[in-house]
Amino acid sequence: MTAWLVRRVAASIAIVFLVVTLTFILMDVAPGKPMLGPTERLVDPQAEAILNRQFGLEGPIDVRYVSYLRELVHGNLGLSFGLRRPVADALADAIPNTLLLAGAALLIDFLIGLALGVYQALRVHRIPDVVLGNVTLFLYSVPTFWLGLILLLVFGEWLGWFPVAGMSDPILCPTVSSFYCAMDRLWHLALPALTLGFVGAAGTARFQRAAMLEVAGQDYIRTARAKGASERRVVLRHQLRNALLSFITLFGLAFPFLLTGAVLIETIFAWPGMGRLATDAILRRDFPVVNAAVLLASTMVVVGNLVADVLLAIADPRLRVRSGGGEPA
Amino acid sequence: MLSAMPHQRRLALVLAMLVLGSTACQRAGSCTGAYCGTLVFGVVGEPDILLPPSTQEGVSRDIEEQLFLKLADIGLSTNTIGDEDFQPLLAERWEWDGPLTLVFHLDPRARWQDGQPVTASDVAFTFDAYTDSLVASPYRAALRRVASVTARDPQTAVFRFREKYPEMFYDAVYHMRVLPAHLLRGTPRDQWKTAPFGRQPLGDGPYRFVSWKAGQSLELVADSTFFLGRPAIRRLIWRFTPDIMVATTQLVADQADGHDQLVTPDNIARAAAAPQLTIYPYRGATYGYMGFNLAANGDTTQPHPIFGDRDVRRALTMAVDRASLLKSVFGDYAKVPPGPVSQLWWIWDPEMRQLPYDTTRAKWTLSSHGWRDSDKDGIRDRDGQPLAFHLLVSSVSTIRKTYARLIQEQLRQVGVQMEIDEVDNSVVAERLAAGKFDAVMLAWQTDPTPSSGVPQVWTRGGFGRSNYLRYDNPAFDALVEKATSAATRAQARVAWRGAIETVNADAPAIFLFATDNVAAFHKRVADVRIRPDSWAALVRTWRIPPDRLIDRDRVER
Amino acid sequence: MTLPAWFALLVAFALATWVVRDVRRRTARHEAGRRFFRHPTAAWGIGVLAFFVVVAVAAPLVTSYDPRAQLDIVHLKNQAPSWSNILGTDVYSRDLWSRVAFGARVSLIVGALGMLVAVTVGTLVGAVAGYYRHWVDAVLMRGVDVGLALPRIFVLLIAIALFGQLPLTALVLAIGLTSWFGTSRLVRAEVLSVRERDFVAAARAVGAGPGRVIFRHVLPNAAAPIIVSAALGIGNVLLLEAALSFLGIGVASPTPSWGNMIADGAPYLASAPWTTLFPGLAIALVVMALNAVGDALRDALDPRQEEREERGRTT
Repeated sequence: MTAWLVRRVAASIAIVFLVVTLTFILMDVAPGKPMLGPTERLVDPQAEAILNRQFGLEGPIDVRYVSYLRELVHGNLGLSFGLRRPVADALADAIPNTLLLAGAALLIDFLIGLALGVYQALRVHRIPDVVLGNVTLFLYSVPTFWLGLILLLVFGEWLGWFPVAGMSDPILCPTVSSFYCAMDRLWHLALPALTLGFVGAAGTARFQRAAMLEVAGQDYIRTARAKGASERRVVLRHQLRNALLSFITLFGLAFPFLLTGAVLIETIFAWPGMGRLATDAILRRDFPVVNAAVLLASTMVVVGNLVADVLLAIADPRLRVRSGGGEPA
Repeated sequence: MLSAMPHQRRLALVLAMLVLGSTACQRAGSCTGAYCGTLVFGVVGEPDILLPPSTQEGVSRDIEEQLFLKLADIGLSTNTIGDEDFQPLLAERWEWDGPLTLVFHLDPRARWQDGQPVTASDVAFTFDAYTDSLVASPYRAALRRVASVTARDPQTAVFRFREKYPEMFYDAVYHMRVLPAHLLRGTPRDQWKTAPFGRQPLGDGPYRFVSWKAGQSLELVADSTFFLGRPAIRRLIWRFTPDIMVATTQLVADQADGHDQLVTPDNIARAAAAPQLTIYPYRGATYGYMGFNLAANGDTTQPHPIFGDRDVRRALTMAVDRASLLKSVFGDYAKVPPGPVSQLWWIWDPEMRQLPYDTTRAKWTLSSHGWRDSDKDGIRDRDGQPLAFHLLVSSVSTIRKTYARLIQEQLRQVGVQMEIDEVDNSVVAERLAAGKFDAVMLAWQTDPTPSSGVPQVWTRGGFGRSNYLRYDNPAFDALVEKATSAATRAQARVAWRGAIETVNADAPAIFLFATDNVAAFHKRVADVRIRPDSWAALVRTWRIPPDRLIDRDRVER
Repeated sequence: MTLPAWFALLVAFALATWVVRDVRRRTARHEAGRRFFRHPTAAWGIGVLAFFVVVAVAAPLVTSYDPRAQLDIVHLKNQAPSWSNILGTDVYSRDLWSRVAFGARVSLIVGALGMLVAVTVGTLVGAVAGYYRHWVDAVLMRGVDVGLALPRIFVLLIAIALFGQLPLTALVLAIGLTSWFGTSRLVRAEVLSVRERDFVAAARAVGAGPGRVIFRHVLPNAAAPIIVSAALGIGNVLLLEAALSFLGIGVASPTPSWGNMIADGAPYLASAPWTTLFPGLAIALVVMALNAVGDALRDALDPRQEEREERGRTT
């Protein structure tokens, strides 16, 4: 187990390193120059050249790459010229926001998805299953950002139930109670989190239903039934428990979906998280921010997979034997 | 039995709580009288840095208007010539000491918000910083004709110029906001670009900085001891959104009190229909055009195979129905510019001579220059070369993208094939600088005077700077030179007119739009005065009458 | 809409219905075919797909306007649905139904070709990794891990930044080359199990080369999951194209694709919601149909396969 874990962690670090290097090279080869200011203003080539030098955007790529790695090892992510501040500060502002949104979306995703999947599996091929099957199929098939736009239109613009953008009310929140601020935060969170959560829940429900049904067909469940265990017990102790195993994998896989799905959703709902930060940075060629965002995102994905693997290995020792690949089952 | 119902019911409950919570828990404060009021401005984008010489973004300038004072500022007329239309701010008065020396007397009441007095050495320090190449301020070039700024005594700052010209006073006061030397002296100049001061500024203006939540909002509070009079509106909040549609929706939904530029007729109509809003049109500072690269794509030494020909450029200009395009994109809120001119400029004159919209003549000109559709594919060609080119457009500007697609269709009608390259700003900037494009859709946000922008964008002196099209006509350059050095407005007007009409005749670009800006503010706000070059410059004089205060105005903090 | 266009549309409906009936009749003889149609939404899915394919092919017949034509940029922009423009017009006064119909061509082609690239690359990599195992497998699968570790939308943003403006082929390649990782894992797992079976060992014993063994013996026996993942993958590619276009880096104007139609409409969401609504619905319908068909295919060809590979959608 330990040797396996060490190998897995080492591979993960290597993957992150490769990804970061690849991004560094790609961003350098990409056309477009760093945007120091808005395009509608007159440019002063001299001032631009000085700033480029000060931000370390000049010089051969190998020199910049080495100095980037050196700084990275010392925990320095560099300066963002687009945001005019240290990248670490910008990340420190954005990460909690993304985690909040991703966390809320994950919660909705798994709570609703799990419940629906189990419910459908218990009512398989009956009316509730068929109806819910169509609903989840639809939600699973819509472009997430389109669903976000439609929810924004209906609940933000037409009905006015939820705020259309941002993550807090700047007028009252800092001055009144923290309870108000917490409620206000949830209120702002509702539309983006529900958009991401619903789409995720649709996939989760479909997965969970299939997993439950597959397990239901297996011998030991039949045996349990034959031994006279109550239906409730069969479902809870056997079917659900086994289906949960594969569910852990899903949990690991859900991280990239939330991080990347959030790119467009964050843009639409003006949610100041990692997705927006990274997209803006790519469009401005704000290299230090892009590198940091990719480093962070790939680390999260790798860690997510790793944790899922470890959990699975703990839950089901048989899998450890096949530990060569990153992929259980 | 495990069932989905409890989850759904709980969700519904949580949602209901949220909706109730958001309305029921708003506690109205108790502020009453003339100095209450909270204004929320919804804006597109976010400040970069609130250190005036390093600032590039427009939002930052609007906020800096509230935090840092200039010595004097331009009047509502936006006249930049001479000094008679300028309003005193930090300087209570000034006088000329000979043709090249300007003496400012600071207002003795002026204080930094930490209590220190504002002195002439702050002014000298400010000039030194703005012109320091390590600070790399975008305003540095505008100050090139000021030789020095010194402190004669703590209340008196002396400007010396290199030469005499009509806009000396404008250059002395318009570009610089005076900085607190005692707070900035310790920061090395090459670190000003990311100085922490720029995220926690302290100034001498009518408002104090309170907080800046990245990606969300920024709050200022009125300085009740401000020496030019206590601002009537107590809190100003800038709320950041990524795009104009969301900003408008926020405004219409009463989640913001104002927006300075609604841009599209769509947004304007929505704001106009909202009962709580009033619409304020004002002269816009932007003009936009589709420019032709006169040099070959990627090779500035050769003329462009299509656009090198003046007659072809003129024909293409005549093939475009600028009035309909304008109507389609801007509705009633913009004008077709009479050349490279924004409405902000005093030289704006719809009578300037320009090429007409005349597709017959356009087609005839193209045919007579050998561009005929010999292979009947709908695209004109000459010597086997189709009349086809690429248009470079920034993918972030909805207006410019819309124009590009509308023009694409209009040119198709006369047998010209235009492909649209919609790319990031960073790619646009790179290809412009390298001359790697055929045609480009551009817009400039102009200063109040034509004498800085026009030479940089349209004369030979702008090669390597902003004259990406490499437009070069010595007659035009001479007229611009004459206009910028003319002693009186009347003389300048004649020269400018000649210059603009020369450009129009050479048609290096199709001049498409000069914006009218339309702002919308909550109707409870009184005395809304907007200075066209900087809408937020006079916010300190706006007020909310005590009988019109609403809940958010009364909030105590 | 003119009368002939309405008539052509009716014919398209009829054709789609006929296709469903015909497919059902032809497959009824096989057990797999019957299993396929036992799936509740399979027939519906086939019908929707057939309808959109017919509309795409016969786009000039079922519409009355050139999808690029700007009818009247001053008076007819952002018009609500009416008898002359059944889905309304967009901000450039172009007929939305014409753009949806012609957009079907682009979107379906991008979806199909993008998936073809992804499945080809994914199958090859997966087969090679699974067949050779050892260090080849380790290297390839670490590569796949790298691919999966990068958020795909970032990768595509960066990849597309490389091109500046993307020609359609490059877009297809960019999407295809970032969508094969899941397939390759799937195929690898399948190959790993197939290669141990007797007939493969027999083929190797009689001296068949690795290429022959992989293509003649291993892959055909791993075909079912590949087909299913392809059917489900087209939907993902469609969603990806839409997301990219929404970010302004997908199919270039004036060529209509459903994704760039949403992007065109989004700034006018509040005043002309139909310009955003209809192309999004078209995407949703087709992706739903593809997912329904994919589900049914899985039931028919490969009843044991789980839905796991479906996750990892990016949009």
